[in-house]
Amino acid sequence: MKNSITRRSMLTTLGGAVAGLMALSPARKVKAAVQKVFVSTNAPKDYDPYKHKWLMCFDVDKCIGCGLCVDACKTENHVPQGPTYFRTWIERYIIKKPKPGSGDIRGEVIVDSPNGGRGGFSATTVPREEILKSFFVPKLCNLCEHSPCTQVCPVGATFDAPDGAVLVDPKYCIGCGFCIQACPYGCRFLNPETKTAEKCTLCYHRITRGLKPACVEICPTEARIFGDLKNPVENDPIQAFINKNKVNSLKPHLGTDPRVMYANLDKEVR
Amino acid sequence: MPPQIFRLVLLTVTIVVTYLIARYLLTPTTFGQHGFYRGDALAEHASHTPVFAGRKSCLECHEEIQQQLFKGEHKTIGCESCHGPASAHVADPDSENKKPDKRNTLTCARCHEANPSRPATQKQINVNTHYSGQKCVECHVPHQPNEVP
Repeated sequence: MKNSITRRSMLTTLGGAVAGLMALSPARKVKAAVQKVFVSTNAPKDYDPYKHKWLMCFDVDKCIGCGLCVDACKTENHVPQGPTYFRTWIERYIIKKPKPGSGDIRGEVIVDSPNGGRGGFSATTVPREEILKSFFVPKLCNLCEHSPCTQVCPVGATFDAPDGAVLVDPKYCIGCGFCIQACPYGCRFLNPETKTAEKCTLCYHRITRGLKPACVEICPTEARIFGDLKNPVENDPIQAFINKNKVNSLKPHLGTDPRVMYANLDKEVR
Repeated sequence: MPPQIFRLVLLTVTIVVTYLIARYLLTPTTFGQHGFYRGDALAEHASHTPVFAGRKSCLECHEEIQQQLFKGEHKTIGCESCHGPASAHVADPDSENKKPDKRNTLTCARCHEANPSRPATQKQINVNTHYSGQKCVECHVPHQPNEVP
């Protein structure tokens, strides 16, 4: 029986397949370009992530613990309502006076965050005369330059955007939770509805439109300051803040190099 | 070449080529545009609609409030901190039911209720004993707290 596949037909088929594949590449690029024009998105078109570098600063001495930022964040970003799902939250630190004769600088440190500080803080049960000092610390994603959450993601769903935001691609996230364990600041959670990791996006839909993030917009005491390092404006609040205050970041020994800076940070804040 | 080696090589090549074709077809076009991730994810994050309109949008129409607000201690407070999200109202200013909520006493207490954790510079009162039964606005002007009505 004669073999039906000749050398000539085999070579033709192979050549055709290679040519077809090569033609596919421009075809896909054209399709993507056409889709970009005709599929309408709300995304602002004139935003270039390479021309911005966002930074968030906190003045701990200005935070009054009203919890409006936590509320605003949940409303703005449709964060699940449960008490463990927060993109930003407020912690209350109560440092007690040391026991007389103990020789300590300070006594017990009590940290709490009832419902993330949402709805404000009720008065503490610790008697006022026992308190050495007490203050509120707002927290959110620390915008690490060397972010551990990005390094552990096995599927490339978490990434550092060129403008400094650390984002999650919900279409790529498989919900393995590695990033949630990797974040040293506890800034991530698994969304119970989408089953994907979620975190502060710096209100990416707002900052790309020239608005401030919701928490910054809503903060009544300007405890949160937000700015762009690449486009300093006149009397830039972020430059003034860094010039005026001695700033520090959380857990600097981890080498994550956060771009969220705190002024008047106490040693006990972790 | 012995036939068993030839088959092995052929099998390896087939597997590698199949993998390359699958990877090529399944990878989104924008993957790797900025780094090891899908470039489109940036635009998808940016495409959500803002809920809070921002102070600038409010002051476009409510100019007189700005004049009042900038004189007093409450000048740092955004409009939507007390009045609630307003982007629906900004998009459709005439619609009655899209107007932000009227403020109430609870809104004042949220920042001014006495709490030992609050900074000493914040003016604080004990809501239960500070002229209880009266409304805050009977004595204080929220837009200009250093004034008396």
